[in-house]
Amino acid sequence: MTRQTRIALWGLLVPLAILALWQVAAMLQRTPLFPGPGKVALAIWANYPVILRELGITLLRAVVGFGLAAVTMIPLGIFLGRVRVIGRVLEPLMDMLATLPPPAIIPLVMLFAGTGDGAKVVIIAYAAAVPLLMNTYEASHSIHPMLSRVARSLHLSRFETMRLIDLPSSLPMIATGARLAIASSLLVSVTSEMLLATNGIGTFLQRSQETFKIDAGLAGIAFISLAGIIVNAGVFRLEKNWLFWHYRDQRPAE
Amino acid sequence: MTGILTASDVGKSYGSGDTRMAIIDGLNLSIAKGEFVSLVGPSGCGKTTLLMCLSGLLSPNLGKVGFKGQVVTAPPIGLSVVFQDYSRSLLPWKTNLDNVLFGMRRVTGMDAAQKKARALEILEAVGLPGFAGHYPWQVSGGMQQRVAIARGIASQSELLLLDEPLAAVDAQTRADMQDLLLDLAKRFDQTCVLVTHDVEEAVYMADRVLVLGPRPTRVVREIVVDLPKPRDQISTREAPAFLHARHEVMELIRSMRQGKALS
Ligand SMILES: Nc1ncnc2c1ncn2[C@@H]1O[C@H](COP(=O)(O)OP(=O)(O)O)[C@@H](O)[C@H]1O
Ligand SMILES: [Mg+2]
Repeated sequence: MTRQTRIALWGLLVPLAILALWQVAAMLQRTPLFPGPGKVALAIWANYPVILRELGITLLRAVVGFGLAAVTMIPLGIFLGRVRVIGRVLEPLMDMLATLPPPAIIPLVMLFAGTGDGAKVVIIAYAAAVPLLMNTYEASHSIHPMLSRVARSLHLSRFETMRLIDLPSSLPMIATGARLAIASSLLVSVTSEMLLATNGIGTFLQRSQETFKIDAGLAGIAFISLAGIIVNAGVFRLEKNWLFWHYRDQRPAE
Repeated sequence: MTGILTASDVGKSYGSGDTRMAIIDGLNLSIAKGEFVSLVGPSGCGKTTLLMCLSGLLSPNLGKVGFKGQVVTAPPIGLSVVFQDYSRSLLPWKTNLDNVLFGMRRVTGMDAAQKKARALEILEAVGLPGFAGHYPWQVSGGMQQRVAIARGIASQSELLLLDEPLAAVDAQTRADMQDLLLDLAKRFDQTCVLVTHDVEEAVYMADRVLVLGPRPTRVVREIVVDLPKPRDQISTREAPAFLHARHEVMELIRSMRQGKALS
């Protein structure tokens, strides 16, 4: 057995040990408020159609909110990085927004947009917008002057420079922003459902807790983690495909 | 002054106030169409800065640069630059072939397939067949430099400004590249301005060598290289006119270095 596989096995053993301890503790307690892993597994089986449907709603809103933020903030960030004057004027505003926790705007948005899908998507889009804009702007305005010279000497227009030079060379930092934005979108999507209870996995969790169905709630949490793992794996794949030139590992030929 | 490229009383400085540093002062030159001119000078004298001013990428504080009779305020169409910082000037997300094609964006009268064929032909000419599909960061510095040269040549510009384009190329390949550059310049009717710190190279390639003085720089001597073309790596370098020109340039540069050491 190599060192690697030994470490991997230990890595599996830790969660298994926790599950075992949890099961023992739950059996000693014998109350529905403290279900063991067995109970949770049963709850997953009993609730998975509902959980998947609610989780689907939550994810859909997260995707729409993130998408809206991405298609507006990435171009805006590139633009502000290239047209420095405007970028510099807006920098303090961006810094202020960056420190504001996204859920803080929920009551305000409720006031204007109510509690429906629209309101939730707006809040998610805002949450995703901040890291996307900040990272894109930062990347685009710190592009090496050499690349700007290349663009000018090849007679690219401003728009062509943004599209063909600034965007690709900003992609690695945009990806970092996108990771933060995705995590933030999921977080805010779930949180907004807890505060503006209508539907979605956040509402499901809230209801489960209020009706003392702790096992169903834990089942919901298990699905959220699973969704998170899948999304992360997807992002990782995309980065590998699109940014291989940034994470270059090949050695030069010759 | 007439000529495809002219500089009249050009002055350029970086910074302002106490940190102001004059780089170029009262520089004049004129390059005739079809000419191959080498610029040599002590390191740090402002050769790259001058080339940036000539290309329209930097604007001089004083004087004027003219290209085909027009005052240069931005890089004009018909002028291409091969940058000294070749590694950063290539786009890492594009293959070598796509980098060369990127330099051909303004080339007219060719469709995509013809452009690709031409780009491959030039990559082969610079000794990189089989590396078209590689990315710049997958090949050595010398090869990257040849990709950058290929991009410059492929643009089919009337005027090519080359900033130490062979500095990272190994000695054997360098001789081949010198002949290739001369050959392609003639074939595509390109006027070339070559910055180099290699005096032999400057003389070997040029119709005329302009020697730049220490910072703030200007042209301190013009040496016409009276040697037939095409040049030959062996016989040209043994010709009395070659040795004479080389001697003159080297002596000038040595005296400038000593002057600097004394002051
Ligand atoms: N952007 C810049 N700002 C300030 N100083 C610079 C800048 N670029 C170059 N210099 C300085 O100008 C001088 C000439 O530089 P350069 O034109 O690159 O010389 P060369 O190409 O002859 O080696 C150097 O002393 C260098 O440090
Ligand atoms: Mg230089």
